[in-house]
Amino acid sequence: MSVSYTNLIPLLIGMSLVVLLVIVGRVPVRYNVRNLSVRWRTTLMTGLAFTLVIALMTGMLAFVNGMFRLTEQSGQPGNVMLMSEGATDEAFSNLGFADVGQIELQPGILRDEASNLPLASRETYISCNQLVENPAPGRPRRRIVQVRGVDDPEMSARVHGLTLLSGNWFSREGVIAGAAGGQNLVQAVVGEGIAREFGRDRTKEVLASAKNKLRLDVGDSFLLGEERLAIVGVIKSTGSVFDSEIWAKRARIGKSFGEENYSTVVVRTAGPEEAKKVKEFFNKDYKDSALQAYTETEYFESLAQTNKQFLGATIIITAILSIGGVFGVMNTMFAAVSQRSKDIGVLRILGFSRLEVLYTFLLESLVLALFGGTLGCVFGCLVHGTKATSVVSGGQGSSKNVVLELLVSGDTISIGLLVALLMGLLGGLIPSLLAMRLRPLESLR
Amino acid sequence: MKFLLLIFKNVRRNMLRTSLTSLGTIALVLVVTLVWSILQFLADQTNPKKQNIKAIITEKWQLPSQMPLAYSASLRDGAAKEEGDIHPIDSMTWQFFGGSMDPARRDPKLRMFAFALQPEKLLTMMDGLDALQGEERRQLEEAVEKMKRNRATIIMGEDILKQIDRRVGDKIMLYGVNYSGINLEFEIVGSFTTARYAKSSAIDCEYLNAALDVYPSTHGGEKHPLADKTLNLVWLKVENPEAYAKVAEQIETSSDYRTPPVKCEVSSNAIAAFLEGFRDIFWGMRWILGPSALISLSLIIANAISISVRERRMELAVMKVLGFRPYQIVILVVGESLFLGVGSGLLSSGGTYCVVNLIFGGIDFPIAFFPKFDIPLAAWWWGPAVGGAAAILGSISPAWQACRVKVSEVFAKVA
Repeated sequence: MSVSYTNLIPLLIGMSLVVLLVIVGRVPVRYNVRNLSVRWRTTLMTGLAFTLVIALMTGMLAFVNGMFRLTEQSGQPGNVMLMSEGATDEAFSNLGFADVGQIELQPGILRDEASNLPLASRETYISCNQLVENPAPGRPRRRIVQVRGVDDPEMSARVHGLTLLSGNWFSREGVIAGAAGGQNLVQAVVGEGIAREFGRDRTKEVLASAKNKLRLDVGDSFLLGEERLAIVGVIKSTGSVFDSEIWAKRARIGKSFGEENYSTVVVRTAGPEEAKKVKEFFNKDYKDSALQAYTETEYFESLAQTNKQFLGATIIITAILSIGGVFGVMNTMFAAVSQRSKDIGVLRILGFSRLEVLYTFLLESLVLALFGGTLGCVFGCLVHGTKATSVVSGGQGSSKNVVLELLVSGDTISIGLLVALLMGLLGGLIPSLLAMRLRPLESLR
Repeated sequence: MKFLLLIFKNVRRNMLRTSLTSLGTIALVLVVTLVWSILQFLADQTNPKKQNIKAIITEKWQLPSQMPLAYSASLRDGAAKEEGDIHPIDSMTWQFFGGSMDPARRDPKLRMFAFALQPEKLLTMMDGLDALQGEERRQLEEAVEKMKRNRATIIMGEDILKQIDRRVGDKIMLYGVNYSGINLEFEIVGSFTTARYAKSSAIDCEYLNAALDVYPSTHGGEKHPLADKTLNLVWLKVENPEAYAKVAEQIETSSDYRTPPVKCEVSSNAIAAFLEGFRDIFWGMRWILGPSALISLSLIIANAISISVRERRMELAVMKVLGFRPYQIVILVVGESLFLGVGSGLLSSGGTYCVVNLIFGGIDFPIAFFPKFDIPLAAWWWGPAVGGAAAILGSISPAWQACRVKVSEVFAKVA
């Protein structure tokens, strides 16, 4: 679990402040601990407020992290995506058969060492309405799913860096015979995420006899449009958009949806620099057909608009919740100062300086914040690894429904602790200043 | 009345604590108001209506829906052919035109999206615009009239106008993004002032279709690649659920719509299906974020009231000596808390309503095809209700402690 310097340094400064207050303050820490435990109800309530705010923030950041990881991991650094001119997304692209053949012959595209075939994935991307066979009560009767029709699944998987978790890639024909007298089924390979999503549609009876209770698996089938698709393989999750896709033979599935042309060709180059050169070549110098080239990483980065939007919302919500929390801490600390004005007077008479009084109250507030914040991070960590549905989009009409994994990173935890410390500092500073300014004799009266 | 006065005096007694609790409440009610506003808007959109139902006709299996323009005329009439078939009371078609002011179509700030439709339908069929009143309505009618007189016109959302730094009256050239090779010049004749359309534009569909018609003459006789799939959506308005069911049957059983097949559904269903991808986010907002803000709020209030009760043990004992009954002390403590919660809640949600709607023009949180969300009028009661509920929850335990103060114990300590 790594933490970036931009988050680690402020956190270390915050922690150092706590340690410094312990070292510099001459008032024994035991005094603060006893005060917190004597007023345990107030301590608990204030600590819980911190816990809630930080746990919420951790959960929301885990979701946003999951979305960013999804868009970052979907693009291979050496891949270039080729679409028709003007297309901002593969859903709107339309490439001719002849164009595709020519594209693969251009320089800069890697070739397979054994077969000398270009490392290129010919694809027809289709966004479909799927009728949900057994929708949960109150849920819509259809969902939007992404289908990728490919010619050579092994080559396409190699270009996209995908492997199978179970089963096999679909056959050259792309169909298997249905049950006796029934129609042929189109073979499909599904991402682990979408297989899990489809798995929820099963009735209790089907689920009872299912070999995989969590998701659909090899041998299961599902309805897509007017076709029934048989699952022959499940793609191993890579935390990318491909986890939420259905792959099938392009010639079969394209025909079913009236999309017989290619939408995209993805080609593999030697690396990120070469990918940029190949992209420039197709955008500026290639004359055989009008194309729009993107590096794959650039394309998926463009789909991060929703991620940024959710990150913005998370920051705003956390900020407002934190402000509410700060007022709560201030209340507690002001009450602590007012209840312990006599203690302050005694401390001052015993020779403790004004600054030491400030330190002791500030330390109390920071310890409370750190305790609540740590607990919040622990609760927040419970969402790590859980799956959630979302949509990634690029704002130009391009969007993909995805299943993602929530990710609590080292940065998330360090931000959580930092926010808690900041809340403690802001909430404790003014009451501590008030305590510092109390006059010993007046406070003892 | 005396009780109210006492509550008011008690609340004023420690202004610092009152202010801090109040500010905390304001912040947390703000979160609840924002979350509920978004959820309420989406719930309204996905709840089926009983009258003036809007139905959407789209391609059955594929997204984006792309139907031939030839479907338009009969679909707008609900595919009514036979005697006894039901005709919709109103209709509208949508074609999506994405354009850029940048000839190279690379600068994202110069890109925009427009509904190509029948201009007069802006006044009767567009959700939100059809309900405009007063000056806003008059301005829209004026813009629509200009649009009807001159096809080469556009009405743009205010955010888009700001983004491209243009004003009503200016002329712009849009280079087709999805309709590659279709470049259209427009005069801006009006603006959408409602938050929902702040990032959208509207053009006359006939202008786009005329450009598609002349495309072959400049491209060696070849039709535009999208010429046969330019119709994206058809909207119908029908009187009631029975009329909708009949019209949907007319359309879905008609042999005229086979390649591609079409589906007819009420707009609420279509929107619900589109929003299904955001299911877990909405679930989190409804069941985690909102309740957590409420619990935090209760904790803050409970803390403040507990402190206040602890500090006033002596006073509460004296009240008991003076003849106050335990239930009266409970009312006093809960009343103080309620006063704070309801008052701050009202201040928060009322303030949010005014600031977000009047200054920011809605919550800028684009989800699906909803670019902004207004704070609903109902927020005026959400705030006091949320603040009040949290106040009651937060004050139960302190009030219980207050009413159980034992006079003998308190005075024994004093002695």
